[in-house]
Amino acid sequence: MKKLLFILFPFLVFAQPNCNAYLYAGDTLQYKACLLVEKAQKYYQFEREFHEVFDDALQIAPNFAYAYREKSTAYLKSGDFLTWKKLIDKAVELDYVQNLPYRAWCRYQFFRDYKGAISDIEKLNSLVTYDIGYGINGDYHLNIMKAMCYSALGEKKKAIKTFLTQLEKKVYSAGLYDYYQLGVTFYEIKDYKNALESFEKQSERNDIAENEYYKSKINKLLKNEAAYKKNKEAALKLYAENKKLLDPYTQHFNTVYYETIVSE
Amino acid sequence: MSNFLKCLFFMPLFVFSQDKVSTSLYPAYIGNIEFNKEIDKENFKLCFEKHIYQYFNDSHGLEYRGEKAALEREFLKEYKSEVIKNETGSIRINFVVNCNGETDRFRLIAMDENYNEKQFEKSITEQLLTITKRLKGWKGKQMRGNNVDYYQYLIFKIENGQLKEILP
Repeated sequence: MKKLLFILFPFLVFAQPNCNAYLYAGDTLQYKACLLVEKAQKYYQFEREFHEVFDDALQIAPNFAYAYREKSTAYLKSGDFLTWKKLIDKAVELDYVQNLPYRAWCRYQFFRDYKGAISDIEKLNSLVTYDIGYGINGDYHLNIMKAMCYSALGEKKKAIKTFLTQLEKKVYSAGLYDYYQLGVTFYEIKDYKNALESFEKQSERNDIAENEYYKSKINKLLKNEAAYKKNKEAALKLYAENKKLLDPYTQHFNTVYYETIVSE
Repeated sequence: MSNFLKCLFFMPLFVFSQDKVSTSLYPAYIGNIEFNKEIDKENFKLCFEKHIYQYFNDSHGLEYRGEKAALEREFLKEYKSEVIKNETGSIRINFVVNCNGETDRFRLIAMDENYNEKQFEKSITEQLLTITKRLKGWKGKQMRGNNVDYYQYLIFKIENGQLKEILP
């Protein structure tokens, strides 16, 4: 599953809009702008020429939200929060359906702006009736991301309720690390029984070093020496196999480092 | 004389074409940090002047000896946290790691909680800059088998003067 998402990732990020959709809607200016930005595909999103093509498109159609969003990405990835926010706000203002979920995710992932991400998700939930979907890299559903934001802000009970509401939906299948993040939140309020249950569910779906590490911590606390040792060994093995929380841009929430596992 | 007139005729074209490049709104690559002799080290050498990669271009993200934990430990040890009311927001320090793992060309931007540009007190920014400049654990990166120079940034989340988180 993870491999599939990595393969799809570039397409998820760089998916061009369907230019004909603008034409069918009678918006010939956005249609022309959309056709023009197909030229930008040959440039890297950090290149000057990439941005100049999108600026030309905005000259044709100043309400072409996609251009603002694409231009914002290089600033996001280089940590320039000032320029990124100006551009992505413009994209959201022009087309919130496409861009509000993306802004929410970026606020969480790149800037750990937990309050801002929650505010965007709440606004989105109030505006649409359909499922709000996943963060751009597919790791978490946006409601799970909201739960992690509550957890980061210390609102553990609210976080758990948000996790469970999403996980209990009949149409929802647990994501790559959902039960791990829920387990850590239970652990942090010393609810070890529910924490272990969550970590076990994570193990069944997609075991990672961090998950085994937390199991080892709990078993150590509960004086289950054999289980503690087994979990710690499993954590170190998974770590060596690179089966851990991974992201090329940022550290995941609740990442555990090698030395932390060793010293447990 | 006729050659002189030809030169006069063509000269504006050359001047115009140079201006076109220099007046672009953008650097060759977004986020590029040009050498500034006022603040950068003269003896800081890049291995490839023509292109500096981003830290994520090799898909390995931030790479520091002892992982990010070692980097965070440096700040925990060195940063003197003082409670300074309203000094809240984020500070980004961007810099170059050359192919030998050395760093320079440090640049800083800052924002408040609402993404508005902010000037933090010098006691905060200067500490962060000093500690960042002292970091020695940056790993070298390779692209297509070659050692490369790359841009790295650190974002510091500050709450009332206290260092709360380090990103990315």
